[in-house]
Amino acid sequence: MRLSHFDYHAPETVAQAIALMQAKPGARLMAGGTDLLIKMRHAGLKLQDVISVKSIKGLNTITVDENKGLSIGATALLADVALHPDILKYYPTVAQAARGTANAQVRNMGTVIGNLCNASPAADNAPTLLAMNAEVEIHGPGGQRRMPLEQFFKGPGITALQPAEIVTAVHAPKLAPHTGTAYISLSARGQLDCTAVGVAAMIVLKGKACEEVRIFISSCGPTPVRALKTEAIARGKELTEAVIEQAGNQAAGEVKPIADVRASAGYREKMVAVLTRRVLSQAYTRASE
Amino acid sequence: MKDFSIVGQSVPRNDGRAKATGTAVYTDDIKLPGMLHGKILRSPFPHARILHIDTTRAAALPGVKCVIVGEDTPKIKYGNWRLFPDTQDEYPLAIDKVRFIGDEVAAVAAVDADTAEEALGLIKVDYEELPGVFDIDSSIKEGAPVLHDYCPSNISVNRKIHYGDIDKAFAESDYVREDIFTVHAVSPAYLEPCAAVAQCDLDGRITLWTSTQVPYIIQCLLASTMNMRENDIRVIKPFVGGGFGGKMELRTWEFCAAFIAKKTGRPVKFTLTREEEFLAGRRRHGMKLYSKVGFKKDGTLTGKDLKIYLDGGGYNAMGPTATFLCGTFGAMLYRYPNYRFLGQHVYTNKPPASAMRGFGAPQSLFATETQMNIAAEELGIDPIELRIKNAQVTGDKIPDVATISSCGFIEALQKAAEMSGWKEKRRSPKPGQGIGIGCYSFISGGVFNWFNTQYPFSAAEVRVFTDGTAHLLTMAADIGQGCDTVLKQILAEELGLKMEDIRITSADTAVTPQADLGAWGSRLTMMNGNAVVQAAKKIKAKLFGAVSAKQNLNVIHELDCKDGKVFPKGRPERGISFGDAVALVQKANRGEPIVERGYYTPRDKGLVTPAFSFGAQIAEVDVDPDTGFVKVKKFWTAHDCGTVINQMAVEGQLEGSIQMGLGYALSEQFVMQGGKTLNPNFLDYKMPNAMDVPPSEVAHIHTYEPEGPMGAKEAGEGLAIPTAPAIAAAVHHATGYRCKDLPITPEKILAGKRQ
Ligand SMILES: Cc1cc2nc3c(=O)[nH]c(=O)nc-3n(C[C@H](O)[C@H](O)[C@H](O)COP(=O)(O)OP(=O)(O)OC[C@H]3O[C@@H](n4cnc5c(N)ncnc54)[C@H](O)[C@@H]3O)c2cc1C
Repeated sequence: MRLSHFDYHAPETVAQAIALMQAKPGARLMAGGTDLLIKMRHAGLKLQDVISVKSIKGLNTITVDENKGLSIGATALLADVALHPDILKYYPTVAQAARGTANAQVRNMGTVIGNLCNASPAADNAPTLLAMNAEVEIHGPGGQRRMPLEQFFKGPGITALQPAEIVTAVHAPKLAPHTGTAYISLSARGQLDCTAVGVAAMIVLKGKACEEVRIFISSCGPTPVRALKTEAIARGKELTEAVIEQAGNQAAGEVKPIADVRASAGYREKMVAVLTRRVLSQAYTRASE
Repeated sequence: MKDFSIVGQSVPRNDGRAKATGTAVYTDDIKLPGMLHGKILRSPFPHARILHIDTTRAAALPGVKCVIVGEDTPKIKYGNWRLFPDTQDEYPLAIDKVRFIGDEVAAVAAVDADTAEEALGLIKVDYEELPGVFDIDSSIKEGAPVLHDYCPSNISVNRKIHYGDIDKAFAESDYVREDIFTVHAVSPAYLEPCAAVAQCDLDGRITLWTSTQVPYIIQCLLASTMNMRENDIRVIKPFVGGGFGGKMELRTWEFCAAFIAKKTGRPVKFTLTREEEFLAGRRRHGMKLYSKVGFKKDGTLTGKDLKIYLDGGGYNAMGPTATFLCGTFGAMLYRYPNYRFLGQHVYTNKPPASAMRGFGAPQSLFATETQMNIAAEELGIDPIELRIKNAQVTGDKIPDVATISSCGFIEALQKAAEMSGWKEKRRSPKPGQGIGIGCYSFISGGVFNWFNTQYPFSAAEVRVFTDGTAHLLTMAADIGQGCDTVLKQILAEELGLKMEDIRITSADTAVTPQADLGAWGSRLTMMNGNAVVQAAKKIKAKLFGAVSAKQNLNVIHELDCKDGKVFPKGRPERGISFGDAVALVQKANRGEPIVERGYYTPRDKGLVTPAFSFGAQIAEVDVDPDTGFVKVKKFWTAHDCGTVINQMAVEGQLEGSIQMGLGYALSEQFVMQGGKTLNPNFLDYKMPNAMDVPPSEVAHIHTYEPEGPMGAKEAGEGLAIPTAPAIAAAVHHATGYRCKDLPITPEKILAGKRQ
């Protein structure tokens, strides 16, 4: 499809970006463009203005702080996150999700924040960050605010961002001792594919029992879905095989997937059970280590 | 084994460096002064009548130079089966009717591609939608919508084969097995989308650069469709990024580029997008196969009754050949004393299926091999033993086909079993693991002259020079499979020169000798190789005569060419350099350069092929019992392609075949709804990539094919056949799920596995 004419802006500060968005109400932000340009080229998205965030200084930082936790800036690349030594050490599931996104070329262009802001129900980086209680940092005409990631997704391609707002970073809290996380996704082709179904979990142990459990399921609804009833089954309990089995079944009941070119609804539902069992037992093992 | 110098080595490809460094010029890289860019308007409906087309707004768009519809053209149909004009059912642009989503309706040429694309949106076509048929069963039903008026049954080709007495054979069998198989369509998914550039000179002659497997066929069909003389059309094949059968016919953009170039006097380029390739490009036939086989208690095959319906899509394309061949392949690998085949090619309102690597064999042999595995289990015989019992051997005659002049099938079966540890793994598999086998035989080029060429099937011209070099000219099309390299090797071997001594000019119909039927059917090493050998032998005869005279040799001496020298075999020290020998001949002929031609047309070899390849492949899989995901751990392949001319090239063919077979078996498919392809991109069309391909081991079984050049036969397509049945058998071994409808998906495994 013909790429329609558009003006390309490259602001150097967040304030400039916000001002530009206010001046050009139809404008869209672009990070790596690996989602946006495809929509413009193949899905008929016609834009008058594209505002690149890549020239904004300081947005590409990644920090892992002993007290404040993890912070990933808006232009930090998927490739950077996948290989960051501190993320690999303290937030291995975050690195794993980034590494499992797309292919090397796309990871060298695309960003974690772009993946979140694109708000695809299949986004590979969302479930883990959701399970860890991450927050997005938003700047806009009204100033700065933080919002739990859980409130950020409103539907396929729709976020809670207000006009002229920009996400500058995503923050994951410092993980409590005896915390384990896990994320598994399935797709028809082994190493490079878009997720047909995925589940992430975070478990915090107190003794042998789960003090806290958070489970998020992707590709099975308009946004990543939190499996609240499943969490309730595991919370306060030791994860025996029976509990894990029960949790898996419950999770399958908590989603209403659709069929699409990637998988049928029935298969997705079954796999939610399988993956929930697997992430729970992985996260549990990791939390016990 | 003969003693070769260059043949049998791993010789790096001729085109490797150019491709790796990005200097290779593909059709889309060609830019000519004043060149226009073309785009094609395609039908949004699977089946509709064209009532009216209004191109005025498109033609008025600034930058648009030409808009054409079917009515503007000479309205001559084309199709590769020239011998049977009835089968030629396609116009370059639709007349009256469209028959699949993506059928070509109009073409625009403009100063740039964006303008041409914008103009497409300004063409107004009034359609009357017609009911469509999207699968074989609905298409052959009484009263089904008819696609082509000439063919009210929607069955455009019927092919029968019958020998022996099949009913008697089944009556006398101890065990008879009947199954229905369905196999799906897949994309050739060559990495270079089709492209063509045409230029018309002031005398009205056309030059067409095009991404094709068949320059000669394009030349002829473009001439007939344009109502021109063949010699007024020159087709040049630049570097081509794969074809796999998808580029072996004249296509709309080739015609439109030439037609518009002639009309406007400006060069015109068309390049397809990946989406166009997936939506409307040629595919491998989906098929429905009814197969019945009989055995004696001891495993001896008594006969086979095979009926195949091919899902042809909207036009015949190469469907007639596929219909013929899937029947021949049904009884090629084993000895069937009695065989009956009925093949029917069925029109449906989908993109036309055509040739694709294996040309009917991957489908036909998926059924054969799966049924063989089922029978082995039910007869209580090891699948490899059952095969050995029925395997073809050298000297076997396939009725109505040919005598097999070389066959290493049994050795391949034994070798594959040995390499893979078959016996042990088969007896006691680890949980979730399984091992299975699939085999193949394939043709080394076809004999049946459906194109009705008036020329030899292959030709080569060799020129030799006093500086000790040679120039090989051939119409053979290297499309990435490496025939330029292999043909140079054959010439170098025959003349005793080095690779770097040989210049090659290939696939230019105005310059290279008439003719060559193209790169398909695994024919080039065999057929063009033979033409090269013949030309080289004529050169040698001249050189030997001259050297003999100069050295005053006794007539009993035999001469040879090796290491750049021409010498009597018994008196190597009396040899002279190749270049000096050429000079001698030239001197004796008052300076006339030495030019010789060689030709090959298979004769007295039946109507199918001059030679057969064979092979066996074993796959080991790991199946996740909860998700149904299949991971192929390893492949072992033992195959007989006669003399291996280039080890690296043959192994490259094997790697590529495994990648394709893996996709065919496990992940690739078109998701279709009402004739519409819903996954027209590589994100959702799941072609395996390099990281998905498991390790593999190969053994070349040594045979010498008397009909082939230096004993060689095919290695290009046969290897694409065994992978799917081998994986299916391994999955069955691991899970109990027997796949009779490809692809093997996790869902099917979960539903069908033993509890
Ligand atoms: C071949 C291929 C394979 C892929 N595979 C996967 C996969 O396996 N898993 C997966 O999850 N995704 C996959 N994707 C999708 C895509 O690559 C990822 O979603 C990527 O992370 C997007 O990042 P980006 O920087 O390119 O985003 P962009 O395309 O630049 O932006 C995406 C969206 O976010 C908005 N946006 C970007 N930055 C901001 C910001 N700072 N504030 C507010 N809004 C913003 C944009 O306006 C746009 O709407 C794939 C894409 C391709 C092309």
